[in-house]
Amino acid sequence: MDVSYINPFIEAVDTVFNTMLSVKPRRNGVKVSDGQARGELITSLVGISGQVSGVVALRFPPPTALKLAGKLLGSEADTISDEVTDAIAELVNMVAGSAKAKFQFDPPLELGLPTVVHGTGYRLKYPTRSVWLEVPFSSDAGEFSMEVTYNPN
Amino acid sequence: MKALVVDDSLTIRRIVIKALGLVGITDAREAADGAEALKATQEQDFDLILLDWNMPKLTGIETLRALRQAGKKTPVIMVTTEAEKSRVIEAIKTGANDYLIKPFSPDQLAAKVKNVIGAPAGT
Repeated sequence: MDVSYINPFIEAVDTVFNTMLSVKPRRNGVKVSDGQARGELITSLVGISGQVSGVVALRFPPPTALKLAGKLLGSEADTISDEVTDAIAELVNMVAGSAKAKFQFDPPLELGLPTVVHGTGYRLKYPTRSVWLEVPFSSDAGEFSMEVTYNPN
Repeated sequence: MKALVVDDSLTIRRIVIKALGLVGITDAREAADGAEALKATQEQDFDLILLDWNMPKLTGIETLRALRQAGKKTPVIMVTTEAEKSRVIEAIKTGANDYLIKPFSPDQLAAKVKNVIGAPAGT
């Protein structure tokens, strides 16, 4: 399996978090995801379509989501409000947008509108032929992970 | 100096409005999609429009096209995740005055605004 497609997404996380949040994410390996949320998680997802199709997801424990949203919004948040959800959605939007430009497809890949899921112990179910790669990150704002699937059409 | 900030993300609208403050623009109206933006421009005149690309109802490029077809000459800065060169060219050909790719720093946005409208007095 060629896992090199994950690299533009990892670079995008680094760019977005450094530029918008002044947070330096540290990557902790790459593995195949089972989709299972361990504990309470906020997951933001956005679809990519065009010459390839895929989904990018960022998954945050609530304390990380609150810290990152606070940095983006410029004010501390203490509950997972609509504002926090919006901020988390925008993070995955920027990561996907930044990554898709690196593939340089013509015409450019299209992004969907982000979706956010918040709950405990849920599992993301993936289509059979999809392989999802998971990249765990640590940072000063806490741990989080990115999951990506990417298939040629 | 009045600005219209168009983005479906409340977060980005807040960040943009804060950055506009760096160049002395404190009078900003918000729109969450292109349709809202067109309605706003029919209700009042703006000195500057900051326009996202990917939005529900009416995208940024459709909104820009509608503005220019209606004869509106308000300077427009696209502020978007769409980073491909072909997108930038399409926006400029459609009538955008400048283009800022997300992610961006407040200073980068302020510089684009100064470039498009000139530095307001006192900044």
